[in-house]
Amino acid sequence: MTDKKDYGDHLEKLMNQLADSVLGLSDDVICAETSDVGADPEQEAERTRLVLRQASKTLDNANERVSNLGHTINSNDWVRGKWGYRNRCIDCGSFVSFTTTTGDVQGDALERLCPESNQNEIRRLAASRE
Amino acid sequence: MAHLLSFTDTRPPRVPPVPPPALPPEPSLPPTESINACRKSALLVENDESLLHILRRSLADEGYAVRIAANSEEGLRLYRDLAPFNVVLIDYFVPQRNGVGIDLCAPLQTNGTALATAIREINPSQGMIIAAFAYANAGEVPRPLELMHTPLLIEIFKLQSLLAKIEVDRAIETLTSSELLRLQQFAEFRVRGLGRAARGRSWEDLLQEAELRTLIGAEATGKGRHWNKNVDFVLHLTGAMQSISNCWKRQFKEKEACFVSELLIQDAEGQEHSPLDKVASGHTAADQRLIEKDEEDRVLTIFKDDHEATQVLHGLLDGLKKNEIKSKYGLDEKQYVAAVKRIRVTLLGRRNGGERDGKHDR
Repeated sequence: MTDKKDYGDHLEKLMNQLADSVLGLSDDVICAETSDVGADPEQEAERTRLVLRQASKTLDNANERVSNLGHTINSNDWVRGKWGYRNRCIDCGSFVSFTTTTGDVQGDALERLCPESNQNEIRRLAASRE
Repeated sequence: MAHLLSFTDTRPPRVPPVPPPALPPEPSLPPTESINACRKSALLVENDESLLHILRRSLADEGYAVRIAANSEEGLRLYRDLAPFNVVLIDYFVPQRNGVGIDLCAPLQTNGTALATAIREINPSQGMIIAAFAYANAGEVPRPLELMHTPLLIEIFKLQSLLAKIEVDRAIETLTSSELLRLQQFAEFRVRGLGRAARGRSWEDLLQEAELRTLIGAEATGKGRHWNKNVDFVLHLTGAMQSISNCWKRQFKEKEACFVSELLIQDAEGQEHSPLDKVASGHTAADQRLIEKDEEDRVLTIFKDDHEATQVLHGLLDGLKKNEIKSKYGLDEKQYVAAVKRIRVTLLGRRNGGERDGKHDR
C-alpha cells in the first residue's frame, strides 16, 4: 500500500475548522445561512432548545424516580456506560440508568423501594417514640 | 382557621442537618431597589432561625443576593414586588403568617407548597426549590401534582447541585436563536468530522452529551464538566462538545485495535489465527481508508465547479490555517470568507436533503 494518507484525519480537520468557523459568525449571518440551507432559523433554533430541554428532563426524571422510591443517589455520580448513564443507590446499591436517545430510565432501583430507606424510617420512628 | 386539615404532625422533630456555626451576624441586606441589579438573586422563605442562617449563607456563598421572607404571605408579596429571582427557595413548613403554625389550604398542601403553587402560576418557568428536611426522601413528601417536578431539598449538601441545575436550565431558556443555531451547526460539523467513529450518533447526541456532562459536573470540578459561570454558556458547551467528540474518536480507534487483538485464537501448534482472516469482507484498516477517501472525494466533487471553494477545501483538508490558505492560493479575505460560507451552506444543505450539488450561489 503506497497511499498512506489518513483521509479520516483530514476530513476531521476540515469539519472541525468548519465547526469553529460557525462560532465567529454574526447573528444575522448565521440566521441567513440557515435560511440559505432551506431551513427556518426560528424553527431550527427552537428544535435545538428542545434537544437541550429533553436531556435536562431525562436527567430530572431519572433522579426523581429513584428518589421517590426512597433511593439515595449522588447526582454527581452518574457514569457514562455502554447503555447511557448509570448510577447506584448509596444505601442499597441497586442500579439505575438512563439514555437521552429514547428518554428511557431503567434498572433494578426502579423495581422496588429502597430497603435501607425503610430501615432508616423504622429506626427514625423508634427513636422519636423513645 | 376554616381550612385546617387533618394534617397530623407525625413528622419527626425538626432538627437541622448541620448545627449552625457560631458566626458573626449577617450584614444587612442591600436595599430593595438593588436586589435585582445583582447578577444573581434569590428569595428565601424560611422562618426557622437556624435553617435560615445555613441556607442564607449557602446561597450567599454561591453568589446570590438573598431576599428573606419569614412566612408565605410575605414571600408572595416580595415575589410580586421583586420577581423574577434566579431561584426561590421555600421551606415546606413555613407558616402563613408570623406566629402562625401549620395551616393548610388544600389536600397535600402546606403553606410552603401553596406559595410554590402560587409562584408557579405567576411564572411557570421560575426556578424554585422546596426544602423538606424533615423527610428522609422525596417519595415521602406529600405535594400537589403540579409540584411533582419541583426539586426538593432533603439534604442540605445537595443545595449546590440543585442551584447549578437551575442555572443551567435558565441558561438554556435564555439562549438566543443565533446562539442555538451556532450550537446546532457546531455539533453537526463535529459529528461529521468523526466519520465512522460517530457510530451513528447525531448532532443531537453530541449536544445532549455536552449538556449532561455539564449537569453532572455542576457541583464538582472533578466530575463531569463543570461550568465556570464566568465563561459564556455557548462557549462552554462548544468546548465540551469538542472534547467529547475527540474522546469518541479516540475510543473508536482504541476499540478497533483492541477488537482485532482480542480475537486471536491459538491452534494446537501454537500458531495464532484471526477469525477475521476467514471473513470475506471484514472491516480492515484499508477498507476504512477507502471509505474515508470516498467521503473526501465526494466532498471535493460537490465543489468541482467552484474553483475557490476547492482551493479552500484542499487547504482545510491539509490542515492549513486561514492565513496560510489565503496566501497559498492568493485569496483575499472576502473571497476566503465567501468560499467558506459556500462550503458550510452546501454541506449543511445536503444534510437537509437539499439538492445543491454545483448549484451553490456565488
